[in-house]
Amino acid sequence: MNTLGPVPIDTDDSASLVVELIYRLKVRDVMTREIVTCTPDHSIRHAQELMREHGISGVPVVRSRRLVGIISMDDVIRALDGNYIDEALVERMTRNVIVLEDDMPLGFAISYLEKHRFGRFPVIDAAKHLVGILTSRDIIIALLVEINREVTRLERNQPTNEITEEGFRLEYATRSFDFETAGRLSTETKRRLTEAGVQRAETRRVAVATYELEMNQVVHSQGGRVTVVFDSASGLVTISAVDTGPGITDVDAALTEGFSTANDWIRSLGFGAGMGLPNTRRVSDSFEIESSASGTAVRVTIKTGGKGDAS
Amino acid sequence: MKLSTCIQDLEAHLVSGSAGVPERTFAHVVVSDLMSDVLVVDEDEFLLVTSLASDQVVRTADIVGAAAILLCNGKNAPETMKKLSDQNRIPLFATPLRTFDVCRKIVACGESAG
Repeated sequence: MNTLGPVPIDTDDSASLVVELIYRLKVRDVMTREIVTCTPDHSIRHAQELMREHGISGVPVVRSRRLVGIISMDDVIRALDGNYIDEALVERMTRNVIVLEDDMPLGFAISYLEKHRFGRFPVIDAAKHLVGILTSRDIIIALLVEINREVTRLERNQPTNEITEEGFRLEYATRSFDFETAGRLSTETKRRLTEAGVQRAETRRVAVATYELEMNQVVHSQGGRVTVVFDSASGLVTISAVDTGPGITDVDAALTEGFSTANDWIRSLGFGAGMGLPNTRRVSDSFEIESSASGTAVRVTIKTGGKGDAS
Repeated sequence: MKLSTCIQDLEAHLVSGSAGVPERTFAHVVVSDLMSDVLVVDEDEFLLVTSLASDQVVRTADIVGAAAILLCNGKNAPETMKKLSDQNRIPLFATPLRTFDVCRKIVACGESAG
């Protein structure tokens, strides 16, 4: 079992989406950038007024953009109690401040909050300048927004299938590098065509083209959608694959067998031999491709069932 | 060639997908670790020999209509791969033999079977 220390998440068994989220999000994506600060010469009373005015519970103390200390509500209460509220911050502030760096993953920040039990952490950049402040509130809001975005995406990922007597329309979304789910559409398509009584060889051509297009999006794009439409009267199968980018730089090269931009990792998974698009075209009766930076759209048709079968 | 006759010589054991085993026969053998290359094969009902242990091997085998999968080099199939082979009723075998030795033995087996 691999855990993130005090974070109650087991990185082996948790939803990969959540684990990915707390590693992908960096402190800088989540922190508050508008910071209220004091200088060391300000009085504790001044810090207290700032806290009341802005509804915050701590103020970083900064000299020429560098963090030199921090003053918290707790310190203010103690100052009132000890009757030194008008003294300069430099005398009373906490100097040993636990800070976060802006490029740390969010999971790290969560474990810090748990470990140190402070309400807030100042955030510094590589130049050691104070660039933000991170509270549990920031983390809750950021996680809520991100999880909402991911769940919305997952909901959209649900296949939208329409099956009628005239045929079917199957649509699945793909996600960049999501090899687990790639192939669902082609498997489903194969099953439906077999049920509809389409010949084995023709079903295979459709399944191969669909699978290649699905894998292409998973390997090369930021994600997209693949749709298969079968019209039982004409026997025509139309497959459309539309992704959201980054587009194919050289479409002619991509259509050449053996040309590939896949990396070694993709190859180690058994893909990226540069056969995807050429093979799709090989098994199809018509093949159209358009690509720009905003995405690639491939539309192929395969005729089944003998009526004007071009194969 | 019947699958069951070859398996013993190949020191292979059935890992999953037993539903379709006894009746399966194969006329061709495709050896590749690149599923992209398997997808361009025109024959079906072949034995897919590979040392790649991933879900996509089973998906590819299903799409192209392979008769069975033989995993060489003592590779362990991940649980998800076994599950997928059960679902798709594609027998998945594993052998400690190296890919080259597997190929040699299949050729010998095919010759003796005539």
